[in-house]
Amino acid sequence: MAEDLVLDTAIRDWVLIPLSVVMVLIGILRHFVSKLMRSSQVPDAKIVKEGQLIVRARNLRAGANFIPPRSFRARRFYFSNEENGLLHVPKGQAPNPQAQMFSDPNMAMDMMKKNLSMIIPQTLTFAWVNFFFSGFVAAKIPFPLTQRFRSMLQNGIDLSTVDVSYVSSRSWYFLNLFGLRGLFSLILGEDNATDDTQRMMQMSGFGFDPTKSLGAEKDSLDIVQHDWALPKFEQRAEAVLRKILS
Amino acid sequence: MVSKTEETQLSNLETQVDNGGGGAWEYLCLVRKLKVRRSDRVLKHGLSILNDPKKRSSLGPDEWTLYEQVAVAAMDCQSLDVAKDCIKVLQKKFPESKRVGRLEGMLLEAKGAWAEAEKAYSSLLEDNPLDQVIHKRRVAMAKAQGNVSVAIEWLNKYLEIFMADHDAWRELAEIYVSLQMYKQAAFCYEELILSQPMIPLYHLAYADVLYTLGGLENLQNAKKYYASTIDLTGGKNTRALFGICLCSSAIGQIAKGRNKDDKESPELQSLAATALEREYKQKASDKLSLLTAALKGLKVSS
Repeated sequence: MAEDLVLDTAIRDWVLIPLSVVMVLIGILRHFVSKLMRSSQVPDAKIVKEGQLIVRARNLRAGANFIPPRSFRARRFYFSNEENGLLHVPKGQAPNPQAQMFSDPNMAMDMMKKNLSMIIPQTLTFAWVNFFFSGFVAAKIPFPLTQRFRSMLQNGIDLSTVDVSYVSSRSWYFLNLFGLRGLFSLILGEDNATDDTQRMMQMSGFGFDPTKSLGAEKDSLDIVQHDWALPKFEQRAEAVLRKILS
Repeated sequence: MVSKTEETQLSNLETQVDNGGGGAWEYLCLVRKLKVRRSDRVLKHGLSILNDPKKRSSLGPDEWTLYEQVAVAAMDCQSLDVAKDCIKVLQKKFPESKRVGRLEGMLLEAKGAWAEAEKAYSSLLEDNPLDQVIHKRRVAMAKAQGNVSVAIEWLNKYLEIFMADHDAWRELAEIYVSLQMYKQAAFCYEELILSQPMIPLYHLAYADVLYTLGGLENLQNAKKYYASTIDLTGGKNTRALFGICLCSSAIGQIAKGRNKDDKESPELQSLAATALEREYKQKASDKLSLLTAALKGLKVSS
């Protein structure tokens, strides 16, 4: 083990703390900027209708046994007949979400805005950190770590002899970038714009296709066996009455 | 739906506030959260907060919510001047807001200026065609004018998009019943039963509609739904008990001439009758004679 490096207190005062403060401030700024840029999304009537349709079809499936057989069959026909049933999506007519995205400039614009508010400050701060603080050893972790952490903690220092528990300034930047989420949710409330992971999830879920769920709902509705529950209720009512009369 | 604990909490707060024990703001919040209609109290206590500058400013941004709440309550109580003042303040604060626009529409409606209110609502709908509250206001307006067929039309249009909104289905069902369009009402009640199968009120209403429709099959179904109501309420619903008796006797009348091979639970009727008798004996013994006479009449005919 090499001897302990002595870190100048000026590094603490002028690198470590300013970096963290700047990261926090930038996070807050980003939150408000993206709040300003967020356009209120007007939901499409068709999408709303499809959502409601799915809820209703699901209700029908769940409560099928509570309505008379004839009513159930009429409803099922209404939902899933091959000509103009509500759940029936004609083949080839299902809109491709990808194409939809490109045809709707608003959607692309929205995504771009979100991405811009995320990427621009990140590149700027990264450039700033790189320019001013490159090569600084900014902090020391009070416990030893294995060599594998070197790339994580000593990004920007190409010395293999430095003990792994020292943190370079660039790594400190990254640690802040990913580690401040909890702090932001404390300061800015739960659903803040700085939460990147959530946005990633949204993005991956972007390809969600409502017509697919319509089809799935139709299929499961088609295989429902209607077994009217009400005749049993007469016996149960009898039992109830007998119980309160006895 | 208001749960039991919330209800007791509300009534506790209510007595506390009424007796000047403070907690008016908490009470108003609870009223808003539970969406109960206590317009007179909301008006009284909300106004007392709003008229006190110190209390009002201590609310912070919630002040505006309170203005809205009081405005709606004032319209409900026909204190239109108060409502007007509240809306004016909100208008000043949020000049472009659609929510305030909605309140203005409601004020016009409360004044009875139907045409103007209609105009205001339709211009709001142009901006946001999916505003559920405005759609509902329109239905309510048509109903208030006595224009029930228009109300039905609006409701149907609304349900075409928001078809999972059971409150709207319920409203439609009640309108249909009031117009004696029982087949349509039955459909709506089926829809309600589907969305909330465990609420006995819908079973009961559906059974009523089926019984009114008449015909052997409908009567048998009605009896089944009365039975399910009894099961779901634990036999505490008097109307359902009467329903069983009436249905059985009506079925008996129709099926008199025919073969009686599909004989179904004759016991249920007598059980329901005894349960009724017992209930009357406990709660209204002076009317027992009326009941026994009525039941006898039913039994004779069967």
